[in-house]
Amino acid sequence: MSFGATEVLHGVDFDVHYGEVFCLLGPNGAGKTTTLEVLEGFRAATAGEVRVLGINPAAQPARLRERAGMVLQECGFPRQVRVAELIDLWRTYYPDPRPLGDLLEVVELTGVRDKQVRKLSGGQRRRLDFALALAGDPDLIFLDEPTTGFDPEARRRCWAAIENLRGLGKTILLTTHYLDEAERLADRIAILRAGRIELAGTMHEVAARAGLASRISFSTPSALRRGHIPSPEGIDLAICGSESVCHTGNAAMTLRLLLAWAAEHRLGDLDGLAVTAPRLEDTYIRLTGSTGDQP
Amino acid sequence: MSRTIRLAAGQALVEQRSFWRSAEYALFTFVFPLMILLLIGAANVGSHLPGTHIKNTTVFVPGILAFGVIVAAYVNLGSKVAVLRHDGVLKRIRTTPLPPGAYIGGLLVSTIATVILITAATGLGGWLAFGAAPRAGEVLALAGGLVLGTVCFAALGLAVSSVITSAESAGPVAYASFLPIAIISGVFDPTFSGLPDWLSRLVAAFPVKALAEVLQNTYAVRPFPAWDLANLALWTAGGAAVAVWRFRWHT
Repeated sequence: MSFGATEVLHGVDFDVHYGEVFCLLGPNGAGKTTTLEVLEGFRAATAGEVRVLGINPAAQPARLRERAGMVLQECGFPRQVRVAELIDLWRTYYPDPRPLGDLLEVVELTGVRDKQVRKLSGGQRRRLDFALALAGDPDLIFLDEPTTGFDPEARRRCWAAIENLRGLGKTILLTTHYLDEAERLADRIAILRAGRIELAGTMHEVAARAGLASRISFSTPSALRRGHIPSPEGIDLAICGSESVCHTGNAAMTLRLLLAWAAEHRLGDLDGLAVTAPRLEDTYIRLTGSTGDQP
Repeated sequence: MSRTIRLAAGQALVEQRSFWRSAEYALFTFVFPLMILLLIGAANVGSHLPGTHIKNTTVFVPGILAFGVIVAAYVNLGSKVAVLRHDGVLKRIRTTPLPPGAYIGGLLVSTIATVILITAATGLGGWLAFGAAPRAGEVLALAGGLVLGTVCFAALGLAVSSVITSAESAGPVAYASFLPIAIISGVFDPTFSGLPDWLSRLVAAFPVKALAEVLQNTYAVRPFPAWDLANLALWTAGGAAVAVWRFRWHT
C-alpha cells in the first residue's frame, strides 16, 4: 500500500476469525486507519490480497457495506434529526435491518430516542455511531479508535457497548492506541508499527513472541534458604530473602519442574505460588519504544 | 431503480422534517423573500415602468419569485451540502450501501419541495397584496421557468459547496456570491438603471437576471427571452459539470 512514492503499509498480514474481537494496536501514524480504509474499501491496496467476508472490498464496496458496519473517526450526524428517526432512516439502507427497539437497547439509547442528535453527549453520540453501524445487522463491525478523547466514564460505557456487540456474535475489528482498551476487549491483537505488523496473536502469544517472560514466584521454603536442599535444576531461580522468583518463556514447563522438585523435597504446594503473565504494556513498550536504542 | 427512488423519497422526507424543525432556518428562508416582497413591493404600488403601462409590481413580484428560487436552491442547498461535508455526514453516508444517487436525489427532492412552498407563498403574497398574477395561458411557462431555475441554481449550489471550506462560512459565502449580483440585476428594484455599460453587460452574463427575466416574461408581455434561456442552460451545464467534477464525500 503506498501514497504517491511513499510506501505506508508493507507486510500487513493478518486474519480475523468469525465472532472475535480483533484489535489493531499501534501508535499514532502507524497506519491503523489506512489499514482499516483498505479493508473498508475506501482505498485500493497497491499490492497484495485483501478479502473481507470473502469480498474484495475495493472491487465491491456496496456489497461489503451491506454486511459490514463501520464506525469511522470524525463522522457527524445531520444537525436537526432525532435519535430514533435517524436510526430508522439508516435501517432503510439495508436489505435486512435489525429492529429499531433492539438497536436502541443494545446501545442504551432508548431513554433519549426522541432527543435531537445535536443535544446528545459525546458518549451518547458514540453509541449512536454504533447503532447506525449495527442498523443493517452486519456480520462484521469496524471501529476506528472508538474511545479516543473520552472521559473514563464514557470509555467504560463505550466498552460495555462493544461487549454487547460481541455478545450478539458480531466479529469486531477495532483500532486503538490504548493498551488497556486492547487488553480489556480483544480476543486477539496485532501490533502495527511504521506500517508493518510486528506481532499478531492472543495476548499471551504476542508476549511470548516478543520474548517476554512470565514471572513465577513463591515464598522461599526455609530448607532452601538454609541451604539444606539444592536449588531446582534447569530453573534460573533467584532467592530474594523471603521470596523466590524466576522468569520463564514457558510457564507450564517451569511449573512442572518446580512442582516435581517441591514434591521430591517434601515442600508441599509451595506457599504463595503465583504466576504472572507478561503484560501487554511490557510487550508494547519493547516493540514500539526500543528500536533506536538497540546496539 | 425503484429502490433508489424509494430511498431518495425517504431521505427527502427526513430532510424536510429536519428543515422545519429548525425554526429559525425555515423562518428566514421563507420570511426573507416575503418581507422583501411586501416592503419593497409597497413602495412600488401605483408606479409604472418608465414609458410603459406595465405596473412596477407586475415585474417586481416574479423577480422576487426568482429570488426565492435562488435562496432555496442555491443558498440553502449549497450551504447545506457544505455543512454536511464539513460535519462528516457525507463521509458517514459512504459507509452505508445507500447508492450515492439516492442520497443526492433525496437532497434535490427536498430542495424542490422547499422551492415549491416558497414560490407558492411568494406568488400568493404578490397576488393578494399587489394583484400581480401570471398572464393567462402563461402558467405552464411559469412552471417551466421555475423548474429550469431550480435545476440551474441547484447545480450551482452543489458546485459552490465544493469551494466552501468551513461550516461557519457556508451561509455567508452562498449569500455574498449572489446578493450583490441580484441587487445590480434589478431584482429588488424594477426601475433600477444607470449602470455603466460594461457592468450591465457583465450582470447580464450571470444567471440571476436571466431567471428573473424568464419569470417576468410570464407576468408582463416582453420579448421572448431566448437569450435568457440559453444563458440558464449554459450555467446549468457548467454548474453540473463543476458539481460532478469537484464533488467530495469528505473534507
